[in-house]
Amino acid sequence: MSGEIGKGATVRGRDDGLTLQAIDVSVRFGGLTAVDSVNETLHRGEILGLIGPNGAGKTTFVNALTGFQEPTSGQVKLGDREISGLSPHWIRRHGVARSFQAGRLFRDLPVSENVEVAGVSMGLSRRRAHKHAMELIEWIGLKDKARQPAGVLPYTDERRVGIARALAMQPAFVLLDEPAAGMSDLECDDIMRLVREIPARFGCGVLLIEHNMRVVMGVCQRIHVLDSGKTLSRGSPDQVQKDPAVIQAYLGHG
Amino acid sequence: MVSTTEAGRDRKRPSFKYSIEAKGPILLTVRAWWPPVLWSIVLLLIVVIVMGAGSLTMQKTLIDALIKLMVVVGLYVFIGNSGILSFGHIGFMMIGAYAAAWQTCCPKTKKLFIPGLPDYMLTHQFPFIVSVVVSGLLAAFIALIAGSVLMRLSGIAASIGTFAFLMVMYSFYLRWDPWTRGASTMTGLPVHTDSWVMLAFCVIVMFGAFVYARSRYGLSAKASRDDEVASKAAGVNVVGQRLLSFVVSAFIVGMAGALFGHFLGILTVDSFGLPLTFITLAMLVVGGMQSLSGAVLGAIVISTLFEALRQLEVGFDVGGTLVALPGGGREVGIGILMLVILIFRRNGLTANQEIYWPFRGDAMAKTAMTRRS
Repeated sequence: MSGEIGKGATVRGRDDGLTLQAIDVSVRFGGLTAVDSVNETLHRGEILGLIGPNGAGKTTFVNALTGFQEPTSGQVKLGDREISGLSPHWIRRHGVARSFQAGRLFRDLPVSENVEVAGVSMGLSRRRAHKHAMELIEWIGLKDKARQPAGVLPYTDERRVGIARALAMQPAFVLLDEPAAGMSDLECDDIMRLVREIPARFGCGVLLIEHNMRVVMGVCQRIHVLDSGKTLSRGSPDQVQKDPAVIQAYLGHG
Repeated sequence: MVSTTEAGRDRKRPSFKYSIEAKGPILLTVRAWWPPVLWSIVLLLIVVIVMGAGSLTMQKTLIDALIKLMVVVGLYVFIGNSGILSFGHIGFMMIGAYAAAWQTCCPKTKKLFIPGLPDYMLTHQFPFIVSVVVSGLLAAFIALIAGSVLMRLSGIAASIGTFAFLMVMYSFYLRWDPWTRGASTMTGLPVHTDSWVMLAFCVIVMFGAFVYARSRYGLSAKASRDDEVASKAAGVNVVGQRLLSFVVSAFIVGMAGALFGHFLGILTVDSFGLPLTFITLAMLVVGGMQSLSGAVLGAIVISTLFEALRQLEVGFDVGGTLVALPGGGREVGIGILMLVILIFRRNGLTANQEIYWPFRGDAMAKTAMTRRS
């Protein structure tokens, strides 16, 4: 891992062809199959949308990719290395980061320290982690709130801090779980701008879970549709939007 | 950034230039370390006053209070940073206290009372300071072993685990006659702990606790305290960071135990039970669990109140009749105070904050702290 902190230029091997791969990943809870033999390969530099109705298994799939949920069967591979079953913090340190639906900030810590945590847990000194965190906080536009406790932030700022925290230390892949949920159109535009900048600025591959179709169709190059844990459709935004199976899943049987 | 501001001030007031430049770095250091500096000064004043004007009883009370303060600072290192309430730390105090007895009692006493010790320990006697540090290390080692299991638990399960640890250690020491004299009193520890020794140790552990809390390890532990799942997603090894804070705090509490042994000169297992657990936790809760200032302030306030209530229990003469609080009034008083705090000021007297540099440029002091840590 390159220890250099900076913007874009110092991303470790941006074009090293590293992939995050799910091979036949299934997650079963008792009798319920939340994720059913899903295959997907995420490349660096792309934005992949993961959509589907409520309960389709999107978050469970992200949990499986990040070590929060061990797949019942199948493999998760980072490059050539199988990472399913490894601990979440190991996976984060090796370049797969995520944000959470509910924000989940460290409420009693200042905004800056929320982002710093990722830096220090990956071996930076506090001084350097702080510097790195402040760059990210400036990027998300919260520089003037850096010293406020995260617990008092409004909802939309919370989401942004969550994104900044996930992007600290330039992970190879970042999985964003509904970053725009519950936001107004204007706020969505702002999140879209941030998400669009991620591949070029940080060199990451982005997996974006999102319900807001305008956001998904606006920023993603590829889309993967899940329904009841199964892959329903895959392809470009245009292809997916025209897919009769997708329309049926979203609108129900005519 | 801070030094630029200082320089800017210099230019406007050239006549002060020399003195500000000379004071600048020192002042900034004092600001950055203000909480432990402040409490060191406060403790120094208390010790000087009591040593100068207090009765012998008061001086004894002071030493006892300082030992508790050290335990509370130790508790803060674990509870404040990891967010897990521990009922087990008095067990580490007991481990430290008995370990001190094994080291510093004279060989004659040891052969008579605790013949179970290994030969080397039986025939040798170790210096006071060495024994305090070694006792702390033993407590830390036991914390490492017990903690590697307990720290995998979270929340209330972890707290109950620490309580079980206390009960196990307590019962074990109570029946470990050849090493602890069991239910009988272990006597013969040389008395070394006076107010100045306690003041020195309190100052050292306050600075230590402050350094830990501001370090990357402290930050990681605090992240796991605020949201365990999210801290894992930020790369924090939650079990490892909790374990580290557990071990550091056990080290402090273990040393406090050794100092306690060298204060009384005698040890009984039953002095390391629930009453001591309760009162030290009450100190931490009343002051504010998540800050060093809270731990220290809580210890000072409760110790003072406890002593005042004790005086009331003894009673005083009002026109020929003895007016006194009924026995047990102390515990009731502390209980009431804790309830009041929990209801009206849930984050303690300090609201979980440190007490920062109170003079001009508070914001600057905070900047300095962030930059220095």
